[in-house]
Amino acid sequence: MKGLTLERRAAAGVREVLAVPVLSVLGGLLLGAIFLRATGHDPVAVYREMVTGTLTTSYGLADTVTTSIPLILAGLAAAVAFRVNLYNIGGEGQIYLGAVAATGATLWVGDTAPAVVQLPVLLVAGAAGGAAWIAVPALLRAWFGTNETITTLMLNLVALYLVQYLILGSHSFWRDPDSPTFPKGKPLPDAARLATFGTTSVHLGLVVALAAVGVVAFVLRKLRLGLDMKIMGDAPDAARYAGIPVRRTMVVVLLASGALAGLAGAVEVGGRTHQLDPNGTAVGFGYTGIIVAALARLSPVGVVVTAVLLGVLENSKSVLQTMSDQVPLAITTMLEGAILIFAIGGEILVRHRIRRRTAPVTPAAQETAVGETAAVETAAEETAR
Amino acid sequence: MNHSVLVSTLAAAVIAGTPLVWASLGALLNERAGVLNLGVEGMMLLGACTAFLASHATGSAVVGLLAGALGGAGLATVHAVSSITLRANQIVSGLALTIFGSGLARYLGKPVEGTTITGKIGDLPVPGLRALPVLGPVLFDQDALVYLSWVACALAAFYLGRTRPGLNLRAVGDSPATADAMGIRVAATRYAHTLAGGALCGVGGAYLVLRVVSSWNQEGTTGGQGWIALALVVFAGWRPLLVIAGAYLFGLALRANFALQGEGVAIPAELLSMLPYLLTIVVLVVLSVTKRDGGAPQSLGRPFVRDER
Amino acid sequence: MAEVQPLIAAEGIVKTFPGVVANDHVDVEVLPGEIHALLGENGAGKSTLAAVLTGLYRPDAGRVLVDGREVTIRSPRQGLALGIGMVHQHFRLVPRLTVAENVLLGDPDAPRLLRARQVEQRVAELAVRYGLDVHPAARVGDLTVGERQRVEIVKTLYRGARVLLLDEPTAVLTPQEAQALFTTVRAMAAEGKGVVFISHKLSEVQAVSDRVTVMRDGRVIGRVPTAGTDRHELARMMVGREVDLSPRRAAAPPGDVVLALDGVSAGAAGGRGRLEQLSLSVRRGEIVGVAGVSGNGQRALAEVVAGLRTPDAGTVRIAGTDTTGRGPQAARAAGLAYAPEDRNGTGLAPSLSVAENMVLTRTTDRLVRMGRARAAARAAIEAYQIKAPGPDAPTRSLSGGNVQKVLLARELATSPDVLVVCSPTWGLDVGAVEFVRGRLDRLRAEGAGVLLISEDLDEVRALSDRICVLHSGRIVLETAGEGADVAQLGLAMMGDRA
Repeated sequence: MKGLTLERRAAAGVREVLAVPVLSVLGGLLLGAIFLRATGHDPVAVYREMVTGTLTTSYGLADTVTTSIPLILAGLAAAVAFRVNLYNIGGEGQIYLGAVAATGATLWVGDTAPAVVQLPVLLVAGAAGGAAWIAVPALLRAWFGTNETITTLMLNLVALYLVQYLILGSHSFWRDPDSPTFPKGKPLPDAARLATFGTTSVHLGLVVALAAVGVVAFVLRKLRLGLDMKIMGDAPDAARYAGIPVRRTMVVVLLASGALAGLAGAVEVGGRTHQLDPNGTAVGFGYTGIIVAALARLSPVGVVVTAVLLGVLENSKSVLQTMSDQVPLAITTMLEGAILIFAIGGEILVRHRIRRRTAPVTPAAQETAVGETAAVETAAEETAR
Repeated sequence: MNHSVLVSTLAAAVIAGTPLVWASLGALLNERAGVLNLGVEGMMLLGACTAFLASHATGSAVVGLLAGALGGAGLATVHAVSSITLRANQIVSGLALTIFGSGLARYLGKPVEGTTITGKIGDLPVPGLRALPVLGPVLFDQDALVYLSWVACALAAFYLGRTRPGLNLRAVGDSPATADAMGIRVAATRYAHTLAGGALCGVGGAYLVLRVVSSWNQEGTTGGQGWIALALVVFAGWRPLLVIAGAYLFGLALRANFALQGEGVAIPAELLSMLPYLLTIVVLVVLSVTKRDGGAPQSLGRPFVRDER
Repeated sequence: MAEVQPLIAAEGIVKTFPGVVANDHVDVEVLPGEIHALLGENGAGKSTLAAVLTGLYRPDAGRVLVDGREVTIRSPRQGLALGIGMVHQHFRLVPRLTVAENVLLGDPDAPRLLRARQVEQRVAELAVRYGLDVHPAARVGDLTVGERQRVEIVKTLYRGARVLLLDEPTAVLTPQEAQALFTTVRAMAAEGKGVVFISHKLSEVQAVSDRVTVMRDGRVIGRVPTAGTDRHELARMMVGREVDLSPRRAAAPPGDVVLALDGVSAGAAGGRGRLEQLSLSVRRGEIVGVAGVSGNGQRALAEVVAGLRTPDAGTVRIAGTDTTGRGPQAARAAGLAYAPEDRNGTGLAPSLSVAENMVLTRTTDRLVRMGRARAAARAAIEAYQIKAPGPDAPTRSLSGGNVQKVLLARELATSPDVLVVCSPTWGLDVGAVEFVRGRLDRLRAEGAGVLLISEDLDEVRALSDRICVLHSGRIVLETAGEGADVAQLGLAMMGDRA
């Protein structure tokens, strides 16, 4: 851009860190409003309905919180991996497999076992299922450098067909034998169900999700593993130089990511759907989780806030269905995508300052540019060939 | 397997693979400039939607195709601004666009859900060649867009290897700092090829809806083919002509479902549907295990920052 | 005698960056047929001036004249169109493309359809005319550093450059290759071209230039005919104060062997940069310098010693302990410290703070103790006089000399028995060079052994008690640092033994 240039900040601008997500949401809403208006709907009315339906009624608010539970976990899953530049896009499939494993295990343990057994089984199996589903892409990435973005993504689609097969395409263990003509999943034993808070739909999964946030935040801040991850995410060569076991850490991070997503599937099944449901179990939440993470700038605590925000958006689908002016539900997906685009586009303002062309480069960078960059480049050239 | 069933399956594989040829070629152009485009799926879907709407309104397949290209290019513009000017993380940007693009496609397509179009792409058999055994019906009894896809790939290969703009593109993809120092306009090159690539992805989506499927289905017209297209670029080593071979292979995997069911093979439909995706994983694994350099443009995914003037 | 019109002249050039005036009212001119040296230490402003002349930077004030006409050079392409070409320190080449393709890149006059053969022919012609050995169809990625530099020169000649700027061209060449370069430069000058030779090496400036412009702290200190000056005067102008950059040798004889490589082979079979049955030892109280041209195994050597690479054969012993293939932590535990060439990217993580970088290598810790890390950072900042805003500043915001100080501070904090250091003073300004050399000298005096690996022969000669020349993965020559024969070293670096 003529006359303007970008100067790198020494540290992320605090004002911008908070402003960018907020402005992104506003930007997304504005863009959505344009499309709504262009197709003959009243954006103000639509948005008002969405907000009141999801936040002001006790029923709606509870539903919003319930919806954000798997989003917190899916957001954590994405955040943990993305911090190390490992792009686990497979949250969707890992959620499904977590649900499959959780239902399978608790059904197998049976009706006689008490909650004190079933609840751990539910959660552990869910986490294990998610981790198992990412295991192959994780090992492939760590050992052969296979692009994890596409492999995890492909497994999303495989997982989708797998769940459809288990419920719709066969009479599998997961299928409810008491409903031969109308395919549905076997209901979970009572002991495996997560209790709700009072008469609301909010279930104990909330505790699980918040506990997960605490654990992840602790690991990242206080454990050496967290610093190792930070180094790997910033400078892989420095990580190798320091003696950090890079391959092993990659696998650990990805497995943890998968486990968190699997946990999301488990709490959905245990707390909300109570069965394996191909159309109900957090459909699309794997991708939404990525938006949650990106908006929160990969911060585990920030994920809680953005998960509620996206919970509002997701939940507004049911509100929109009751409106007299039938707005296509896809508007929520559009809004989510638009908010994410604005958020990552705005990220540049967090890292850089806009300056007029007279005084752009820091003294460090200037001397660095002359001396250091050259060393790095020749070093890079030497490794490249 | 019955000879005529084999031939018709292969012919169907070509048709099924053609959207992949277009989308992969589009992704290839993006990536050759150094811009990773995970928005292919969204661009295909949006292209399919705009193509459907345009064709539905005008009854013309050509208008539909153009609309598809515009839809894909439009979404690609956002990706270009985000990745090039705003230097955003290209992976997340592409994903955001897939989410937005698929949302937009479903939003715009809701009113025409379930309808079929009139402006389809018709057959265009090549006289004489179509009489060849096996190859005839498979390759030469297809429609204009199949033939055009071959021409497009050939042109792209020629462009890359034998022309000055193509040389400049290769330099931008491998070493943007060097290209910039030599006076090549890196940002402009990346913009141009991102938009062109997006347009081709849109054409791929348009073809899907104007020929392969011919009605608007809200849930998954593309069904993940955009992602397969990305894997195909790696498979083809970023070379346009190899894209065709890979695309037809995957087209076959996509049709295997129907073929095997027709033969009475007792594998459940859902498991057969998994085939193309599992195949993609296998291909990627083989490529990385054999440690082929692959020919990936060296600056792929990294924003280019030039020293100030 | 009539005034000869300079090919290019700069008047009153001012260029500032935040906090730094890189060029402070600088004048310079180049006459046709002249080889003009631009002499100064790192950070003096020579590269900035060159960038202004070639169109990479726009000056804040001042003017540039080509053939007496004032011009505004908006881009390197425009600079080339005006006949000004530059060979940068870090080459602007695309490794995957051939020599001919690289030469063609961005040439506005090139036809839309590439005629590979025509280009190759013209490149070959230029090569012969100026004595440059290049093969037009070769892939640049396969070429050695010296060959790539020749490609860079051909690139500018192909575009018809009349003024050539060469930025520190001999930094990575052997003495013999440097001589060949001087021959080429003289051939160009004889044709009436102007050559600007940017360097901080006094010996070269004296060897090849007609006139010298000395810069210091962004200003021109003096401009003299080379024949009429000597090294002392040039050094004084260049540095401006008393700085002792004379070679330092060990005061006492060396002690026990503290690092021993025995028959080490490493690297991909048939690949470049392999090590072939290399044996080498370093004793306490000595600095052993490994000289060699880039690509002969320097990186493999450093990595094998530091435990980052497992050799196919041979052993590495640090202070008596066998650390072969046991990883970097084992090497450190045995008493090794390693300061790599890539400081802010390998040795340090650039986005992390000084404090975090101080504990970068403590991978066996369970918990992260930032309090202690910050204390260590503060101590280092004071002891090493590091200019940093504080312990929480990311190391990417530090200048080159300070980055090296942080790296050394961390590596030397453990009082290692052996330090492996690569290109320690590369790109540093005089003050930092002095500091680093002093620190290494002190380390030696304290009884540690130092393995110094560098592609800059001058750096090796200034510090080493013993010099080993590395070629094709082997030590082909070993000699005392004091009084080493440069020509003999140069031949060894090219693979010939005298």
